[in-house]
Amino acid sequence: MKQDETMTTFDVIIVGGGATGAGTARDCARRGLHVLLLERSDIATGATGRNHGLLHSGARYAVTDNESAEECIKENRILRHIASHCVEETDGLFLTLPEDDLAYQSKFVEACRSAGIQAEVMDPKEALRLEPSANPSIIGAVRVPDGAVDPFRLTASNILDAKAHGAVVLTYHEVTDFLKVGNRITGVQAVDHKTKEIKRYYADVVVNAGGIWGHGIAAKAGVQVGMMPAKGALLIFGHRVNRMVLNRCRKPADADILVPGDTICLIGTTSTKVPFEEVDNMLVTAKEVDILLREGEKLAPALAQTRILRAYAGVRPLVASDDDPTGRSVSRGIVVLDHATRDGIEGFVTITGGKLMTYRLMAEWTTDLVCKKLGVTAACSTALEKLPGSREEEEEVVKRVVSLPLAQRRSSIARHGELAEKLAGNTPVDNSLVCECEEVSIGEVKYALNELDVNNLVDLRRRTRVGMGTCQGELCACRAAGVMSGEGKYCAKRAKEDLASFLNERWKGMAPIAWGDTLRESEYMSWMYEGVCGLKSPQKQGE
Amino acid sequence: MKFDTLIIGGGLSGLVCGIRLAKQGQRCAIVSSGQSALHFSSGSFDLLNALPDGRVVENPLEAWEELAQQAPQHPYVKLGRAMMEELAAEVPGLLGAAGVLVQGTADKNHRRFTPLGELKPTWLTLEGYAVSREADRLPWKKAALFNIAGFLDFYTGFIVGGLEKWGVECTTRLFNMGALEHLRKNPSEMRSANIARVFAVQENLEELGRVLQRNAGDAEVILLPAVLGLERTHALAYLREVAGKEVLVLPTLPPSVPGLNAQLQLRKYFQELGGTYMLGDSILRAEIEDARVMRVYSYNHGNISFVADHVILATGSYFSQGLVATSDRIYEPVFGLDIDYPVDRENWLDLRFFARQAYQSFGVKTDECFRGMKDGQPLSNLYVAGAVLGGFNALKEGCGAGVSLLTALDVARQIIDKC
Amino acid sequence: MNLQEHNISDNNFEQCIKCTVCTVYCPVSAANADFPGPKQSGPDGERLRLKKPDFYDEALKYCINCKRCEVACPSNVRIGDIIQAARIKYSKKKPTVRDFMLANTDLMGTLSTPFAPVVNFALGLKPTKAVLDGVMKIDHRRMFPKYAFGTFEGWLKKQAQRQASFDRQVAYFHGCYVNYNHPQLGKDFVKVMNAAGFGVQLLDREKCCGVALISNGFINQARKQGQVNIESIRKKLADRDMTVLGTSSTCIFTLRDEYPHLLNIENGDVRDRIELATRFLYRLLSDGKVNFRFRRDKKLKVAYHTPCHMEKLGWSYYSVELLKMIPGVEVQMLDSQCCGIAGTYGFKKENYEVSQRIGEGLFRQIEESGADYVVTDCETCKWQIEMSTSRRCEHPISILAQMLES
Repeated sequence: MKQDETMTTFDVIIVGGGATGAGTARDCARRGLHVLLLERSDIATGATGRNHGLLHSGARYAVTDNESAEECIKENRILRHIASHCVEETDGLFLTLPEDDLAYQSKFVEACRSAGIQAEVMDPKEALRLEPSANPSIIGAVRVPDGAVDPFRLTASNILDAKAHGAVVLTYHEVTDFLKVGNRITGVQAVDHKTKEIKRYYADVVVNAGGIWGHGIAAKAGVQVGMMPAKGALLIFGHRVNRMVLNRCRKPADADILVPGDTICLIGTTSTKVPFEEVDNMLVTAKEVDILLREGEKLAPALAQTRILRAYAGVRPLVASDDDPTGRSVSRGIVVLDHATRDGIEGFVTITGGKLMTYRLMAEWTTDLVCKKLGVTAACSTALEKLPGSREEEEEVVKRVVSLPLAQRRSSIARHGELAEKLAGNTPVDNSLVCECEEVSIGEVKYALNELDVNNLVDLRRRTRVGMGTCQGELCACRAAGVMSGEGKYCAKRAKEDLASFLNERWKGMAPIAWGDTLRESEYMSWMYEGVCGLKSPQKQGE
Repeated sequence: MKFDTLIIGGGLSGLVCGIRLAKQGQRCAIVSSGQSALHFSSGSFDLLNALPDGRVVENPLEAWEELAQQAPQHPYVKLGRAMMEELAAEVPGLLGAAGVLVQGTADKNHRRFTPLGELKPTWLTLEGYAVSREADRLPWKKAALFNIAGFLDFYTGFIVGGLEKWGVECTTRLFNMGALEHLRKNPSEMRSANIARVFAVQENLEELGRVLQRNAGDAEVILLPAVLGLERTHALAYLREVAGKEVLVLPTLPPSVPGLNAQLQLRKYFQELGGTYMLGDSILRAEIEDARVMRVYSYNHGNISFVADHVILATGSYFSQGLVATSDRIYEPVFGLDIDYPVDRENWLDLRFFARQAYQSFGVKTDECFRGMKDGQPLSNLYVAGAVLGGFNALKEGCGAGVSLLTALDVARQIIDKC
Repeated sequence: MNLQEHNISDNNFEQCIKCTVCTVYCPVSAANADFPGPKQSGPDGERLRLKKPDFYDEALKYCINCKRCEVACPSNVRIGDIIQAARIKYSKKKPTVRDFMLANTDLMGTLSTPFAPVVNFALGLKPTKAVLDGVMKIDHRRMFPKYAFGTFEGWLKKQAQRQASFDRQVAYFHGCYVNYNHPQLGKDFVKVMNAAGFGVQLLDREKCCGVALISNGFINQARKQGQVNIESIRKKLADRDMTVLGTSSTCIFTLRDEYPHLLNIENGDVRDRIELATRFLYRLLSDGKVNFRFRRDKKLKVAYHTPCHMEKLGWSYYSVELLKMIPGVEVQMLDSQCCGIAGTYGFKKENYEVSQRIGEGLFRQIEESGADYVVTDCETCKWQIEMSTSRRCEHPISILAQMLES
């Protein structure tokens, strides 16, 4: 069957559905371009969804990289404005412990100020009053405008806005090859992992926003981008121990940031260079867990008594500076590569480096370049226009969803902002909870299925927090699979396979910290699914 | 507090052991730190479904020789083939006397349904559950499946898929009832046990009967989620009569109504036999002299200790804290009994959820008579039964309930023989 | 190295592994759809409240603090405690005058006992009940416990000298009910203790244990009263080998187990020396330190009801064993389930129906039991049982007193 041309030919194709890809899709679409976004898996699956979720004030980079710090504080202010439902304005503290050099504090404050970051030196006692979970032996504290940002919501919201401006977003579409005419890229060939179909899409410009996977994508286009994968491991704790972000006031090191985010808090990271072969299967070692715990307890001693939910690791795409062929010198700044000027390949752009905080700026620069190539002059509006979900005050939205039970009301507004209004018409059955830890109702699951590109339970988790609570899917996964199957998302057989995959994925994060209550929970989970339900591994279930 | 035998742990193992001893006239107390794993029961008790090498077992008794080869530390191997057979034969009668009626025999596994519509081998299944004698076909051609609208712990699609796989035609009907509305109003409490409370009221059961009668069509069998039988044991018989055909139940996600019913019945029977059942208490420490447990102390009873001729440890595994894992060790918290496990915690588990998990086979070491070992020596009056034992993998070998039941009966037998 | 030794949390709610057992045993969620249930109100809710206090749901007031969820929990989660602590921390609802009246059991007692006949008469009148129901929202179907004419304290003070003549002494925390409504139980207690060779003293100052204040939201007042009680107890126990005994399972439970975590009153130094009379006597009798002489001419059939807080304490064993030691008394155990009254809860108009529905199963079993008396250790259970069934309900100590040879 011949594909509809508007579905095959675009102004720009963006490869990669992380925050940067989604942000670029949004920016391009808002400037009037016909956009296709291809993501080999689900949105926010790479480094986007595997970091601290820290809304950097930039303070962390102030001493070592003042330029990054400046970018951060600017974007910090922008995100508070455009993505308020993804952001929690917690503020942060940079703590000096007795083992740290207090002299670093003044250097730090100085650097913050020069980058335009408000940095208020506080009396340690006052800091402890503000943040009772902080280590009581601190000898210094500086307050900065750090915060928390939910990367899943942020990405999903960018996708929603891109789609609202005509972008086509295809998840589970992996680019397998580039279409070329001479030295010009004219499109891509992609495999649809759901149908196994091979498809071709055409565009004037292709943007490589693949994060660490951008290395391989560029190679398919015949260009070399010198990336190095750096693994960062983190631990998620069962509930919010701290109200404010806690940092160590010293040169950035392992496990020195504790971020509160939604119902949990997380500590990280370690930093290890890893080979490319490992980037698709990051495992956290016992040693990394031990480091994270030891250092984490120094920030907030309560962590020693707090349940750990899971361990996970992300991969930062470190980019070698183009002028350093050894690859030793890396940039954490934003890297936009125009392969036409750099490699003589027309119609191909790579965006890499940077960080979640600067995703919007990265998108803006990329879109600027794309527009220049296409001769489009429209200006960027992403710094001013609010994202879907962030367009109304929470208390206003509350009024319109009073029919929801209290905890669901609060949770769904936190997740979807004013879009939670779509749940206002829920019937009592729709209000039934699928996930009891995170207050996800049938109605919310249906909304996610219908409007947020959900294909499986893991996708559903990223949109709604199903299975992100303390039970890690023990109760909710089976219910959610049932609802998805009942809604016609897939057949019962596929639902079981999906359920098995989901549990495997959850277990991967639980295994490194599986002792104490987590082991008890794991045992119960095994009894439930393998014993009572007779569920087998995804492979066997698929037979 | 003086008893002939003190049983620590009030689950399947502890209760069956207590019943067996109380029947013999022993003064027994059971101390349980909370409700047991019976609350998550599938409705069936497995004896042996597979060998450690993965081979499926059809006749658990015959598989003993092979098991002895592959898993010499398995509790069944310690029991010996003859004793395994003898005790297994004792179980249905003992459960039946408590009002827990079961179907099945130890020399041939039958198949039970799972909430996902899979068929799994098993030994005994509670009366009223749908089962199949054969591994590859079902006893009916046409079934009518019913569920309560909005009851999320039972998804009919899974069951229909399972039935169709075996060529059974199945209709599905979601129904609603006024009496269930108050549960529906609550976003989380439409749970099996709460629904069962609604159907424990006769007029609601009658209404359910009418729903089934009207909508079952020409199906041979009516299938329902297991949300019946709380307090009223005749519920299924009543529905059969009204519907004029077989009515059977299928397991739900927890809580398991028939499982908690079984727990209640066993406890009641134990108490009728004169046993003392103390729920919600934890044994904190024991005094041991000359390899003998002299006294044990609990949280609730403080300075008033338990004194007993024999003590049975039936505290279950990690879930019920019969075993405790920390980041660097695994221990048995009451007596500090010996456990074998690798030092490095990365060897406790496999990163694939469905793989054989080593931690699940760790447990307390005993001598050949199931007396608990401490520092390499058995304690003379401390017996160990059930999931706290080591040497088997309840999930992979499908032998959890069997080990609980048979080791409980065996230690009871030994205590009775001694007295 | 403190590397999460156990990964077992000081934040007790995190020990919940979502097994749902608590939901099976909650008497309220079975009867009241507005209650979010123990799991949602307790560990699940706590996690959300730590995220943001506005997750607090006023519907937590429907929890009757029976602790049956805690007894059932295989993970030692103190679900009831979590819910009560959350009510104290987050509730913004102001208690009403009705709540004030119900909660201040000793104040109401002090006001009423001098005029007991008038008060009892008036509380029984239809117009009074109509006012209580309409204005105060105290259900008109509820029968009030009668006030006694004269307090127990007054009675005991009169015979202080006789009590002082015993070599061994115990202190008695009588509670409001014995003092104002049912001095006879106190008298029975004195009779039994005297028979065991113990004289009975009062604390220098005894205030209501505060359980009703706590459940009605008067936390500061409860704390003040609790401090007075623990101070008095501490003083009493300071240099004497003595025990503080009570006959109300709820008072004793509150003094021992609710003060530290709900009211921040440290009681660790005296906790083990506060106990129920039945536990104290059980120990003496089973150690052979005391021998009672019982009447041989009387036979009684009693059915024992386990009050919720007795279930939590795990101490019904002592009361029942004590009853079993009495020749001529036949004891039947009723299934351990909540009677529905939960202190002042069942008095409130909005809870009446739920309260009676919770107790249904128990009432049925009592009617079918054929017992002469229902026996229980809790006074509010007694009111509920006497109002809702045809049986009298007595305290085990009263049965013991009745069966002692005079």
